[in-house]
Amino acid sequence: MSSEKTTVLIVEDEPEFRMRFKQIVESEPTLELVGVAASKREAQELIDRSKFDVMLIDLGLPDGNGTDLIRQVSAKRPDVDIMVVTVFGDEQHVVSAIEAGATGYILKDSTAADVVSCIRLLRAGGSPVSPVVARSVLRAIRNRMGGAGGTPRSGASPDNNPLSARETEILQLLAKGMSFNEIGEILGISPHTVTAHIKKIYRKLAVHSRGEAVYEATQMGLLRG
Amino acid sequence: MRTLRALLALLAAAAALILSVPASATTLRAVDWTPTEIGAAPAEDAQWQSYDLPLRWSARPGEALRGLTLRLRTTLEAPPTQAWAMLLSHASTGGRVSVNGRMVGEIRAADASTEVRWRRPHLLAIDPELLVAGENTILIQTAYRGGVHYLAGVEVGPLAGVSRDYELRYFASTILPWIGGTLAACLTLLFALLWLRRHDPTIALVALASAFWVLRSAYFLVETVPVGAVIWLDLLYYVASGGFAVVITLVLLRLAGRTGGRAAWMPTLYAAVGPALLVATGGHATPHLDLLWVPGLIGMVALALAYALLSRVRKHESLQIVVITAITVAIAAAVYDYGASQGWLPEATMLALNWAGPLLLAALATPVVDRFVRVLREAEGARGDLESRVREREQMLKRNYERLREGERLQATAAERQRIMQDMHDGLGTQLVSSLMLVERGALTQAQVAQILRESIDDMRLAIDALAQGNSDLLASLGNLRYRMEPRFRAAGIELIWDARDMPEELNINPDHVLPILRIVQESLTNALKHSSARAVSVALQVTQVGDEEPLLQIRVTDNGKGIAGERVGGRGLMNMRSRANKIGGTLALESVAGAGTRVKFTYGLSDFHTGLTRTPTQLGLNTEAIIERFREGGG
Repeated sequence: MSSEKTTVLIVEDEPEFRMRFKQIVESEPTLELVGVAASKREAQELIDRSKFDVMLIDLGLPDGNGTDLIRQVSAKRPDVDIMVVTVFGDEQHVVSAIEAGATGYILKDSTAADVVSCIRLLRAGGSPVSPVVARSVLRAIRNRMGGAGGTPRSGASPDNNPLSARETEILQLLAKGMSFNEIGEILGISPHTVTAHIKKIYRKLAVHSRGEAVYEATQMGLLRG
Repeated sequence: MRTLRALLALLAAAAALILSVPASATTLRAVDWTPTEIGAAPAEDAQWQSYDLPLRWSARPGEALRGLTLRLRTTLEAPPTQAWAMLLSHASTGGRVSVNGRMVGEIRAADASTEVRWRRPHLLAIDPELLVAGENTILIQTAYRGGVHYLAGVEVGPLAGVSRDYELRYFASTILPWIGGTLAACLTLLFALLWLRRHDPTIALVALASAFWVLRSAYFLVETVPVGAVIWLDLLYYVASGGFAVVITLVLLRLAGRTGGRAAWMPTLYAAVGPALLVATGGHATPHLDLLWVPGLIGMVALALAYALLSRVRKHESLQIVVITAITVAIAAAVYDYGASQGWLPEATMLALNWAGPLLLAALATPVVDRFVRVLREAEGARGDLESRVREREQMLKRNYERLREGERLQATAAERQRIMQDMHDGLGTQLVSSLMLVERGALTQAQVAQILRESIDDMRLAIDALAQGNSDLLASLGNLRYRMEPRFRAAGIELIWDARDMPEELNINPDHVLPILRIVQESLTNALKHSSARAVSVALQVTQVGDEEPLLQIRVTDNGKGIAGERVGGRGLMNMRSRANKIGGTLALESVAGAGTRVKFTYGLSDFHTGLTRTPTQLGLNTEAIIERFREGGG
């Protein structure tokens, strides 16, 4: 274990869950709580004045959508891991959060161990992903490539498909329910490398999405230059 | 009405032509007559008889050829200096013409073998030097047989003026019958062809009338004829006139509403009398027929006209009015011609019927043409109507289709809602209710309550996985189940092996079947987790296909635990799983060996197997133990 503690910022509007996350972080010796925010405004203040390694954030805040905060933090502090708190069956929001810059997500009712191990995975350079999220990410990429069927491969439309053939393959195996271990075994790499790949995929998705957003904004005449 | 106006304009133009008489020419009013030998000049002491012009004389049919000299006189104040000419508008017998004893021209006259009936005018130039101041004598030496002969319209004067008159007369006597005949021939051809395609009595009548008019025009254009053929020429005229009159009578009877065949008998019979008598008497009956039978034809048509007018007086159809007007005009023309031919009325420049006939034919054709145009218009209208109805129908179909689609959509939504309700009631609802009863009885520890709630949440997640994704990809849903179960297996120290490598990237099945399959797998996993005491549980997914048979999805959940005791194999949980499998057309098989483990095998037919994407199988084997070891070492 590293000697330095991982600093965590929690943005959650529901008191029950806010308390729960606070408790989980405080009771884990390797983690240190930096602050807790119940709204976008409070979070903004904390983000501006404090340093942290991980931000736990719920998307649905009373004074706005958390996606803006994710975009802001991921742009300003690329070293921060952003973990989206979500309810099950909400994979679409997870994907858009990933596109905004989140590298992880956790279900609201996860056990304390799940939350801690997820944070650890993130700090170790990996990213968690469920099969449905993997499927959604694949779909999002395919839609950008023009919606045409066919497995994204290195040769196909490199401008639109940011993923390498290996990354795509990993996502496909994940979507079938295979674990990191099993995928690593199949591909002859360590599970750690698999999770690192996932994080890379998330980052690419975010960067690509940002580029795309700028491109679209230019097209619409929102930006000059 | 337009036709009527055009008709009136044409008549007015014709009248203007007829009435214009050149002022400079002198019309001769008197003629002297003396019989001579054929081809001989009159004797010095010939007895001249004086007559007024126009002169009409006749001889009994069959009489031999006789010679005749006609003498005309014209007085000049001084001999003319310009070209001079004489016009013989109607010199039916022709002859040798001389002025002051010098011959100026010869028009073919009847001889031993030929009979002449000149209707065309003759223009003879006169050398001005032949003329003297005072009286000038013109002699016409000619010959004639039986029949009616004419000398009319004799003019003397400057060539320019006389020739203008000549042209007018030539047009009326020759060109006009040609035009009328040609027009009638065209109409005959057209309506005969039309009749061949469509046996309509009106069309037949127009064709017949035109044909008779062609014959009649031919009669007027034949001016020299072999003596023996005269009777046939007369027969031609009688047949043509009689036939034409009968056809017009039938037209009028049809207008009056009498279309039966009986109505045609009387007129046909009467019309047949003339030609029959002519042939029977060898031509001798001609004068009597001309006097009595021909006006009878006119009378017959006039009677039919009166009948038509009386019976049709209420109906004012413009086209019928055109036909009736044209017939009236034709009757008037025929009456005039008859009067003129009998010498009761002054002879006009030409036969009035030559004008009236073609106009009548045109008038007869108009109702047929009009009907054709009307039918054409109706057909076009009907087509337009049909098109608009088809368009309307199309739009109605489209609306119906949209309504149907909307209905289907609503039905699908209702079915979906029903399904969710049923699932919640059967799964979560039942579990919560029974848990509540247990809690109220105080029969559960806190850990048990937490366990029940966790299971309830699991069940709800399962439902959401199956229902809320908006897709029917079974693999991702199963994968999510595994993803959620993984920590619990890890906590229990049981290895969960998932083998979906050979599966296609997506497996889309009937959305209604996703949740039951998830339940079956979840139940198998939960059983293995709770009861098997196994070290490892593996889930193998496979799609197999033998030949052209339906592809089969196989899910095998195998544990290496203690196995299920005999009496538990038929237990409730298992029965539930089996009934779920059967409901969606699948089968469930259970193998259990005490001490060696349990295998649940679910088989499901992929009737409309749809992989969505290319299969990407991986060839490498799976060594789970090694991976786990490596992960534990690496990830800590």
